[in-house]
Amino acid sequence: MSFKPVYCIFLFFILFHSLTALAQKRFTLSGSVRDAATGETLIGASVRLESATGKAGAITNAYGFYAVSANEGTYTLTISYISYKTVVQTIVLNKNINLNADLQAGKELQEVVVKAGERKNENVRSPQMGVERLDMKLLDNIPVLFGEKDVLKTIQLLPGVKSGGEGTTGFFVRGGASDQNLILLDEATVYNSSHLLGFFSTFNADAIKNVDLYKGGMPAQYGGRLSSVLDVKMDDGNNKQFSMQGGLGLISSRLKVEGPLIKDKSSFMISARRTYIDFLLKAAPDTSIRGNTLNFYDLNAKVNYKFDDKNTIYLSGYFGQDNIGIKDLFDNSWGNTTGTLRFNHVFNSRLFSNTSLIYNKYNYTVKLIDDVNNFTLTSLIRDINFKQDFQYFSNKHTLRFGIQGTHHRIAPSDISTSANSSFNPLSVENRYGLETSGYISDEYVVNPRVTLLYGLRVSLYNLLGPGTFNTYAANGDITSSATYGSGKSVSNYFNLEPRFSASYIINDENSVKASYNRNTQNIHILSNSGSSSPTDQYVMSSNNIRPEIADQVALGYFKNIQDNAYEFSGEVYYKTMQNQIEYKNAARLIANANVESELLFGHGRAYGLELYAKKTKGKLSGWISYTLSRTERKFNELNNGNYFPARQDRTHDVALVAIYKLGKRWTLSGNYIYNTGNAVTYPAGKYQVGGNTTYFYTERNANRLPYTSRLDVSATLEGKDTGKRFHSSWSFGLYNALNRKNPYSIDFRDVASDPTRTEAVQTSLFGIIPSVTLNFKF
Amino acid sequence: MKFFEQIMKNFINIYIAIVLVCLAFTSCQKVIDIEVNSSASQLVIEGNITNIRGTQYVDISRSVAYTETNNYPGVTGADVQVTDNLGNTYKFSEMQRGHYAFGPLRGQTGRTYTLTVKVDNNTYTATSIMPAAVLVDSLSLSKVTFGSTERKLIAVNYTDPKGIANQYRYILRINGKGANRIYVEDDRLTDGNVIKEELYPYDNNDETEDVKSGDLASVEVQCIDKNIFNYWFTLRSQRRGGPNGGTTPGNPPSNLSNNALGYFSAHTYQTLDIVIP
Repeated sequence: MSFKPVYCIFLFFILFHSLTALAQKRFTLSGSVRDAATGETLIGASVRLESATGKAGAITNAYGFYAVSANEGTYTLTISYISYKTVVQTIVLNKNINLNADLQAGKELQEVVVKAGERKNENVRSPQMGVERLDMKLLDNIPVLFGEKDVLKTIQLLPGVKSGGEGTTGFFVRGGASDQNLILLDEATVYNSSHLLGFFSTFNADAIKNVDLYKGGMPAQYGGRLSSVLDVKMDDGNNKQFSMQGGLGLISSRLKVEGPLIKDKSSFMISARRTYIDFLLKAAPDTSIRGNTLNFYDLNAKVNYKFDDKNTIYLSGYFGQDNIGIKDLFDNSWGNTTGTLRFNHVFNSRLFSNTSLIYNKYNYTVKLIDDVNNFTLTSLIRDINFKQDFQYFSNKHTLRFGIQGTHHRIAPSDISTSANSSFNPLSVENRYGLETSGYISDEYVVNPRVTLLYGLRVSLYNLLGPGTFNTYAANGDITSSATYGSGKSVSNYFNLEPRFSASYIINDENSVKASYNRNTQNIHILSNSGSSSPTDQYVMSSNNIRPEIADQVALGYFKNIQDNAYEFSGEVYYKTMQNQIEYKNAARLIANANVESELLFGHGRAYGLELYAKKTKGKLSGWISYTLSRTERKFNELNNGNYFPARQDRTHDVALVAIYKLGKRWTLSGNYIYNTGNAVTYPAGKYQVGGNTTYFYTERNANRLPYTSRLDVSATLEGKDTGKRFHSSWSFGLYNALNRKNPYSIDFRDVASDPTRTEAVQTSLFGIIPSVTLNFKF
Repeated sequence: MKFFEQIMKNFINIYIAIVLVCLAFTSCQKVIDIEVNSSASQLVIEGNITNIRGTQYVDISRSVAYTETNNYPGVTGADVQVTDNLGNTYKFSEMQRGHYAFGPLRGQTGRTYTLTVKVDNNTYTATSIMPAAVLVDSLSLSKVTFGSTERKLIAVNYTDPKGIANQYRYILRINGKGANRIYVEDDRLTDGNVIKEELYPYDNNDETEDVKSGDLASVEVQCIDKNIFNYWFTLRSQRRGGPNGGTTPGNPPSNLSNNALGYFSAHTYQTLDIVIP
């Protein structure tokens, strides 16, 4: 057959025209995915359309909303979510369709581990890397200290996340410092995420719906911290029926109440937790103990109102406080308060909007009680934050764009005293800052093999008056001083933060990914202790302090085996950090108006390999994570200007988590961790001054604490399924089941029996600690 | 910041102490073997000039490796002299191995003293300005209750002069034995006030016993200059907690040149006694 050229041209036009016509006949399926029993929106549920000719898919966003576009046609629609029964139905896509799906919770809850949702091959397919989504149901089975299930301790079992120390909730991500984690609770910044000096986190697991941790490749909608984003979202509250759940533990008790205010339209959730160590104190036989206090409590609450399918409003809040006090001596209390008001609006099936107004505050009070040596010291950091986010779903693109404005106020120290106190009243000037940022990102499915996620965040930071602002010489002397009026810009910094991730799918089961991101940070913690302290000081970028900047590149390989029964990933990263902060010898951080004169600035680098293998199905599930890493800092004034290991630099970090379902009612679980000891400085020599043995140090952090090795086990017994609504379970746990004395700190001292010799003394915190918790739900 | 910093520093210990009482807490200490780097021996100079007419001392010794016994060899044959800003020169002579003395000499408030030590063809210098003396009125006894134990503290009572930056160092001796603790304070937050400085005689870190009735407590009070304050303050902040517990330890900022360890301090001197009732 032969065609004359004119026919060819004609055919071409016909073909082209029909192609364009085809392209125009695309429709969008959108809506929300919810839990059928409680009406909770499901975050990260998978919505997939498949037909002989093509397939398309989407993931529900933070509000359970999804939108997926495809050519006109008949499709098999599959909606699935981790530990829920998958919905499969046939759908004729011949117009834009709004479809809200309710998923039933599955019975096999145990088949679930930390993974990115029950989304087939999602870990392979998504361009996002360095992200972990924590399944909240998993927390019931992870053995923890005192049986207090804890989000922050569970993420420390993931590769690339290092614990701040035994039993603590502080964490370090890919060589970052603990103040370089952006910790969000319903979008509000939680400045201090620990209770009781870090043994417990501020997150009451009962009230939490979803936890995402970004270690790298941060999406452009997040900004303000260098090393990670921990995005925690609270439950919305059951909008079908009232329910209660709670637990009685060794340390604390929890209670959560939720239910509809207007069925299917409005619901509420209130969750509270309180420790009762101080009730034990009151019962102590020793009268001197009775007046001491030691407690914490927190309260999470949320209400929402759904006007219609297109408009929903949410109001959520958190309030928590710690109190430690010794009778007639001192009192210390600290806590976070957050409030978030959000409005979701669906403009059309493709454009989703969220507007947030956020308030958060962290404050502490230290009181010294004495006739002469008395004072009350208060300090706070407060943010007011406005955010407008849009999500636009197009054929091959998902666009996210928005703006954010945050006003910071730091009241560093206010000291009040009695008239005859030996202390003077003092008020260190408040500091004000305004962070304005805008971002745009695009997830672009270039072809079935290649997906790009690229974006840009621009941030403008302004340190604002009023106040007197000093500039300091290297020796700490004031070189100049200037006074600014209210709202006047003292110094400002503009930063561009490019973010880029790409995935290349080799086949359904294998992919490689790469990412680059730059992050900046304008709020910095000054802490002179290795563990989290309630009196950590906050400073903002200023005429003396430049924003911290981190650049990170990462490469990853992702693999699934046997239909996602096994998942494997390996990632390598390299990160550089500029304008890192240390402080000088004899630095006075508290109640010091010239605290910025006490600082040193340097830079850091971190690199590592993270391996992660998970078994997600069957009676036995769990994971092994391994991190090989190095984290170093460099300051001209320290260690002769050479790189030295950061305290949290640990070469090897291993975590093994296993959960075994034994019959219908018992679940056994255990986790084992091993890590190289922290980098510390041991003396290289000794001498005598003032009659006391004094140590001589050479290289900074050149030594290692002994390694840490710990096995924790627990067993959970589910109550009999009586067919009634009441359900209970017992958890029995053993923390540090092998009773190994892991190092917390090492001190050097003269041997008491022989003062001519010196010995090293290791302090260990926790030996074997049993726990029992009763959980109930009805 | 006086007591408060003391409290903050021992915060975790206090917390642990409370929890210890309340729970079957299993915190424990044990002596372990560690591997340390060894370093070349360093020169250590400890020089003091006081405002009391008498013999003034400069001690010169060397550091030893961590693994050795606590015998610090004195450095003999050094050329030691102190000058002041009025041009006076005081040549110290070696009394015993490593111990150099000059006297009688009375240090004067406001004078700048410069120490010059020549040893093994190296020269080490340091300067220190003698502050004005602040006289302490009395010692008294305080009590504090941690958990179920009551501790006795020795309080130093005086009035801090207003408008002047003052730094104080105290040396506490119980029955003549020096407490294994560094006491150093300034008036950053207490300027011009009546002060009751409470000294903990014991150290949480060792098993030193508490003071008992009948014990004789003596307190040496020194008014020190800012550099010397920073020296002792840094040493103190590293004392407790050790690696991983407190600040990363390092050598305190010395006023001596040429990387010598130690200090040279011109300070005032006063000593008081109290018998524990």
